[in-house]
Amino acid sequence: MVGAFDYAPAIVLLPFLSFLVALAGGKYLPKGGAFGGIAATAGSLLLSVWVFLTVSGGETHNDTLYTWVAGVSEETVSLELGLLLDPLSAMMLIIVSLVALLVHVFSLGYMNDEGETGLPRYYAGLGLFTASMLGFVVADNLLMAFMFFELVGLCSYLLIGFWFRQEGPPSAAKKAFLVTRFGDYFFLVGVVAVFATFGTAAFAGPDSFPHIAELAMPGGESPDGAVNTFGFDPRTWFTIVGLLVLGGVVGKSAQFPLHTWLPDAMEGPTPVSALIHAATMVAAGVYLVARMYGFYALSPTALAIIAFIGGFTALFAATMGVVKREIKQVLAYSTISQYGYMMLGLGAGGYVAATFHLMTHAFFKALLFLGAGSVIIAMHHNENMWDMGGLKEKMPVTYYTFLSGSLALAGIVPFAGFWSKDEVLYEALVHGLGGSTLLLGAYAMGLVAVFFTGFYTFRMVFLTFHGEPRTETARDPHGVRWNVKGPLVVLGVLAATAGLVNMTPVAEMLGMPGIELLHKWLAHGGIEMTTSEHYVTLLEEQADYHATHLSPLVPGLVSLGLALAGAGLAHVLYNVPSPERHTDKLGAIKTLWYNNYYQDELQVWLADGVVRPLARAADKFDQGVVDGVVDGVSSVSLFAGGRVRRIQTGIVSNYAALLTLGLTALVLVFGIMGGWFV
Amino acid sequence: MQLPSWAALGPALVLALTALVLLGLDSIDPDSTHSSALAGISALGALSALGLAGWYLLAGTGQASTGGPILLYGDALVVDGMSLFFSVIFASVAAMVIVASYDYLKGRTYQAEFYSLVMLAATGMTLMASSNSLASVFVSLELASLPSYALVAFLKRNEGSVEAGLKYFLIGAVSSAVFAFGISLVYAVTGSLLLSDVASGLVDAGDFVGVAGVGVLLIAGGFAFKTASVPFHFWAPEAYEGAPAPISAFLSSASKAAGFAVAFRVFVEAFPIASVVPMGIDWPLLFAVLAVVTMTLGNFAAATQENVKRMLAYSSIGHAGYALIGLAALSQGGPNGQVMGASMAHLLVYGFMNTGAFLFIALVEHWEVGRTFEDYNGLATKAPVACTAMTVFMFSLAGLPPFGGFLSKYALFYSAVQGGFWWLAAVGAINSALSLFYYSRVVKAMWIEEPSTPFELESKPVGLYVAVMFAAVGTLLLLPGFGPVVETAQTAATALFA
Repeated sequence: MVGAFDYAPAIVLLPFLSFLVALAGGKYLPKGGAFGGIAATAGSLLLSVWVFLTVSGGETHNDTLYTWVAGVSEETVSLELGLLLDPLSAMMLIIVSLVALLVHVFSLGYMNDEGETGLPRYYAGLGLFTASMLGFVVADNLLMAFMFFELVGLCSYLLIGFWFRQEGPPSAAKKAFLVTRFGDYFFLVGVVAVFATFGTAAFAGPDSFPHIAELAMPGGESPDGAVNTFGFDPRTWFTIVGLLVLGGVVGKSAQFPLHTWLPDAMEGPTPVSALIHAATMVAAGVYLVARMYGFYALSPTALAIIAFIGGFTALFAATMGVVKREIKQVLAYSTISQYGYMMLGLGAGGYVAATFHLMTHAFFKALLFLGAGSVIIAMHHNENMWDMGGLKEKMPVTYYTFLSGSLALAGIVPFAGFWSKDEVLYEALVHGLGGSTLLLGAYAMGLVAVFFTGFYTFRMVFLTFHGEPRTETARDPHGVRWNVKGPLVVLGVLAATAGLVNMTPVAEMLGMPGIELLHKWLAHGGIEMTTSEHYVTLLEEQADYHATHLSPLVPGLVSLGLALAGAGLAHVLYNVPSPERHTDKLGAIKTLWYNNYYQDELQVWLADGVVRPLARAADKFDQGVVDGVVDGVSSVSLFAGGRVRRIQTGIVSNYAALLTLGLTALVLVFGIMGGWFV
Repeated sequence: MQLPSWAALGPALVLALTALVLLGLDSIDPDSTHSSALAGISALGALSALGLAGWYLLAGTGQASTGGPILLYGDALVVDGMSLFFSVIFASVAAMVIVASYDYLKGRTYQAEFYSLVMLAATGMTLMASSNSLASVFVSLELASLPSYALVAFLKRNEGSVEAGLKYFLIGAVSSAVFAFGISLVYAVTGSLLLSDVASGLVDAGDFVGVAGVGVLLIAGGFAFKTASVPFHFWAPEAYEGAPAPISAFLSSASKAAGFAVAFRVFVEAFPIASVVPMGIDWPLLFAVLAVVTMTLGNFAAATQENVKRMLAYSSIGHAGYALIGLAALSQGGPNGQVMGASMAHLLVYGFMNTGAFLFIALVEHWEVGRTFEDYNGLATKAPVACTAMTVFMFSLAGLPPFGGFLSKYALFYSAVQGGFWWLAAVGAINSALSLFYYSRVVKAMWIEEPSTPFELESKPVGLYVAVMFAAVGTLLLLPGFGPVVETAQTAATALFA
């Protein structure tokens, strides 16, 4: 029977087709090819839902579609493209295709109605971006994932730099490309290391690299030396490999210290920002860790590093969000911060919690960006929040949906972000108390960040929508149409309700574990190695992660209290008719935060002060020594060539003489050596 | 049905017959102007020989699968995989040269003589590859050489051509003397001219090792003349430059390959490494020295030339140096068949790319564009197709992928490394890198430089174009087709060592 899995490749191919159509014929199509993209992503969404339903029926799919380099024998590796459809990827497919669809629709309002030029290029970019991300989600092996990971990076470069005639966007695009490339370099080395170690890069199945790694651990079923660990202890080596791959994750998911590209990427069109932040580029990094979680679960060191990077990034980015003036900048830092939470969750052993947060964040962050886009349309592309104010009355739909997203972001009960963020923190806490005390530090950072999140989120809301309009434009904003409001409403509802699928504290309180739908969803599946149950076992056996038993109520109340405190402080300071710039009171700290801890300057200094002298030295060596040798050789050979030419006098008797002399010399040398004359 | 055993010499017989037919026609009608008929007959003869040789090679005639080498005429001649492999080279080069000559000779007299001399030389070369006794080696070598002298001097009113012919002849005479003297010394020691008997006779050389050693060295000298190796190379730059360009192509590709064919057989069969090297006659070392000196001298001299044809002449000396690795990187118990087979395969690829390059020169001479690199400036704007082909030849000669010359050089150096002669391969690789300099000069001149003076190309000679294209396609096809070629060559060479 032909089932959903037979059509699954079309999920990736449909947006790719829309890319081709928009590229080739966008000029002749109405709306610059937008409808093709909408139809394609709608098709992908429908197919994704079908796949989701099939997977929820207990079926999974893990199959190679195409072998593009066949290994010639048992020992050589084959490079393949294939599909892995399990609960995780089925869920992610829906998120990506839904957000992509809404972004396409929104673009009608943001790009077409605003009379932008170059629309075919824009929609082609969106189509390829969506296709790449979907391909990444369904990838069944690390190399294929890497290829689509890179395509995602390329598309983000193309779209961030969409307005290439202005000064900012091309530079931001280059920065995004180069910074993420820096991380991907480690990823690539990691891919090679995985191939060299395991001979395969498959994610799931009995011959998958996480499984082989699991068996190769001390006490595993494989004999010692079953895999080549290059002289390291297996755990050490797997940690190294995991951290190499993590380099790509840190770059793509904008984690410290490779987060600097993301705020600059705000130069791109706002719908693209929504896509990048919610469903594609940035999500790719975290998704990759979740995808190969069975591998990371073997290494407590790698997990701790992930947790610390996450916790630190969450706090670090949240502080910077506090002082930004532009609405999209605040959102950008909130994205970095929220992905920090996901990393914290993954590192702390909360696989389900992190996946949960990935999902809810996708909805509310897409919502916030699209809402911000709506505000930006209204404000005639002025993004400075200090020029806004009082938009609440003028654009109620945008206001209420934006508020829904903000409540979710700040983590106020019962909006989506509360449940997922709370669970991330809860997992960090229980595993920290359960023996992995290091995690408590990461937990503390995450907890403090909750306060900042509540503050900057509502500072943004109050400055934008409340109080008196501070400029003429804010007094008379530009209206928005259905194609902007529609996506906002859909996402607004999701941001309010998506968290209900996994209300862990409520389940605990009422003693009804049955309502934790996401836990159930990820716990089972035909592929045993990628279920959260298996991961919990791995974490306990290999990483020594144990959860203490603790009621989720108290930690939940603590984080809710902190979020409310932050929001309340914002209310007191900014929910007034004409708010002042209270953050100025922070003095030097504000300058530090406003300049992003001088991270950009640091990186420029690293490039300028460290890398450039090294490069110059290498260049010196190349120019002086290498080229010098080469030039020397060539001048010597030309000189020698000139000499040889002179032997060729053109006089035949000379030739005969030289010939005879040469022959005589040979006879003498070989005769003496061979003892012919004795 | 079983063909009579003499039919194994089919390629040589067809070539000889064609030469005689041409001579006959010429004596009946000395002032014939039917140049297309003459060229057609010669091309037909060359292609039939090519077909026969290719068929025999594929059918396994004279190879282990059908009962081993076929010995003929009191063992004076032998037909085996190697002789057939080389016959394929000679016949294909001859065919290309003849097709190209059709245009080159337009309006010249003595065309029938030209073609029949080419055919006779080709016959001599084919016999060289089949010679199994020192006597037939000498005779066939002279049969190949004497028509070559005449062909080099074919442009009777051209001083360069005549001078080159005379020099070629004089050096050839000296070399033949050396060669004959070497044969006589070896005969004196072993009492036989048959290669196998020479080998067994050498074992009991006793006190006459010195005489045998000098003889072996002098015989090597004779082959060095034919292959244009140092120090017998002096004739080559002048002969190649002065000769009609198709003849330069013929001499530098086919004649050189013939020298290697006979050298391979004589040294392997008559002077087996296992017995003569311990006696103090270390001929692989001799060839190693010659290989290094030859490739270095050829490449260094080529780098400083201003005249493209002369540059190709020196590059041809350089390639003789590479091919000499096939005789140098041999050792007792080493992968000798692989080394020599790789050298044979390189000669086949070289037959296509080098012939093509010289035929392109013929084309340029036909257009009367000029001879130096500067004269080639901007040629690609006028003749893009031919220049593309020339680019293929140049890069292939330099050994760049994705052309046939890359794989053949790679196989040659690789087998040398396997045989433990990594230093020979290293010298070869360095020389190849150097050669890229002067080959790319041609490409640069054709494609990048602006023409110094505007020029027009009057005609597009069909025959020359066909021959150049044939060589270019051959050079390209030898990349995917290199596997079977090198396998055939290495099988044939291994059979020789068995």
